[in-house]
Amino acid sequence: MDVKVNTKQKDSNIYSMHGRNIADHYKFSDLRIAVITNPDDRSEPLIRELQKTRAEVKHIWPPPEFVPSDYDVVYTDLMENLPSRLESLPGLPQFSLIIIISASNHVDLKMLENCAPHGTIHLPVTEQAVLSSLVVARSHFLYENRLRKRIQQLDDNLISVRNIERAKILLMERKGFTEEDAYQHMRRQAMDKRVTVGSIASAIVDAQELFS
Amino acid sequence: MYKPSWKVGVLFSKTGPLAVIEETQLRGTLLAINEINEQGGIKGRPIKPVYYDPASDASAFGQYAKRMMVEDGVKTIFGCYSSSSRKSVVPVVERLNGLLWYPTVYEGFEFSTNVIYTGAAPNQNCVELCNFLMQHFGNRFYFVGTDYVYPRVSNRIVRDFVTSNGGKVVGEKYVKLTAQHHDYSPIMRDIKNVKPDVIFSTVVGKSTADFYQSYADFGLDPKLMPIASLTTTEAEIKAMGTDVGEGHITAAPYFEGIDNKASLAFTKRYKKRYGNEPTNTCVETAYFQVHMFAEALKKANSLCTDRLRANVLGIDYEAPQGNVSINLSHGHADVWTRVGRANRSGLFDVLYASNSAVVADPYLLSYGAKREFA
Repeated sequence: MDVKVNTKQKDSNIYSMHGRNIADHYKFSDLRIAVITNPDDRSEPLIRELQKTRAEVKHIWPPPEFVPSDYDVVYTDLMENLPSRLESLPGLPQFSLIIIISASNHVDLKMLENCAPHGTIHLPVTEQAVLSSLVVARSHFLYENRLRKRIQQLDDNLISVRNIERAKILLMERKGFTEEDAYQHMRRQAMDKRVTVGSIASAIVDAQELFS
Repeated sequence: MYKPSWKVGVLFSKTGPLAVIEETQLRGTLLAINEINEQGGIKGRPIKPVYYDPASDASAFGQYAKRMMVEDGVKTIFGCYSSSSRKSVVPVVERLNGLLWYPTVYEGFEFSTNVIYTGAAPNQNCVELCNFLMQHFGNRFYFVGTDYVYPRVSNRIVRDFVTSNGGKVVGEKYVKLTAQHHDYSPIMRDIKNVKPDVIFSTVVGKSTADFYQSYADFGLDPKLMPIASLTTTEAEIKAMGTDVGEGHITAAPYFEGIDNKASLAFTKRYKKRYGNEPTNTCVETAYFQVHMFAEALKKANSLCTDRLRANVLGIDYEAPQGNVSINLSHGHADVWTRVGRANRSGLFDVLYASNSAVVADPYLLSYGAKREFA
């Protein structure tokens, strides 16, 4: 069941209070947000605050077997078996995950950690708390992705450096190039073919039997 | 007084195309756990394995690793044969701060603070194997492999070793993990045509038997043109038939029959528990890494990854293959290099052995600036 929540924009809110438009700055309107929470008078304000960001907000209840992965951000109650309802593996998250903590309930800290969330939000919410949770979780998630990309890039570079070294020696041995000529040759080839020096080097190493 | 057990995860396939080798790793793991428990456990507490069968499906490895860590409260996991399965588990242990013990030969070029690599890296087997093959058979290599990350990356490294030492790669073919006898026929015809000096195989799992059987059916002779491999162990030789396997070459840190106290005691206990099955390098690695873990656990007195890992780095152990140690800087094992030829009884005659464990160099930092041999 999806619950429609009416949003009445207050005249004075955080968006109009700031000189610069916060919603525009953070591009909240580009986000798709799912909220998996038991509808009551404390979770309703959370949904309302999220809608005020102009993001696309979908309320989902009862809890689905698997948390859908086609959202940018998911707010969810810390419910039974939550880690196994998350299909993506810890360490390879597909969305920013924010766990809704209700002050009156016991918090299973181990389960909370096992969900590998990017933030928490505590009920009852305030407008400031909702925005903070959204901004922090989103930036953690994006940062994690950038780090993962960087590690991948470093791994690739390590292999490239090795290949460039190998290719340089091949060119020096088989073609009688000087060290500088060998580097220049690879750079020129890379520029002409509009590929990286690493991939030229890799091709030279792979094709070295053609030299002799 | 009741003392809770040390819970550890075990992830090797009992079913699917990789069961032929992964099941032996499972046995090696359980044998070592059993030995430790018979000796009274660690600090008076037994080790208790939590096991799931990922059925040779790489993505199931990641999902089960998650389940172990989340639902079963496991921190340390012994597991994975294929590189694809390792790559599926690594993000999980990295995010939840677990420790994966990976007991398999692999292609190198990886490091994680949440993995202990106890199998051989390319510098610990490829270099000497290529050297040996070129000296004894010739320099024209034909590659056949299973189509996934390990064979492709491994072949790139071997190609570099071969060609930079004056050899030539005259063919490179890949087959699917489930390839059967007839899938190899076109490759065998090509091999007969191209006449390489050596066939270099990175075929893994059940399909290995089909590959070697197909070779035999085509009337090829291992004395003249052997299949050389890093992954064909005593287990695969048994599966294909010892007459089919005879004469082919494998490089590995361990072969059954190595003459030292630890090796003889290990094979004796293995056969007592599992009947007259041959041991192999994967069982041996799976076995010694659990004992290494136990030594570290004694000192750490905790399964907490940070404390345990600190006690693993730099540790050494008298394994069946000889003394092995875990490299301080990158958590890879320094293991032995051996080249063996399969005999009629399904075991390997050792033709070359290093004098001691070879330092792991997973990024091949010290290889490549010069010719390695020839």
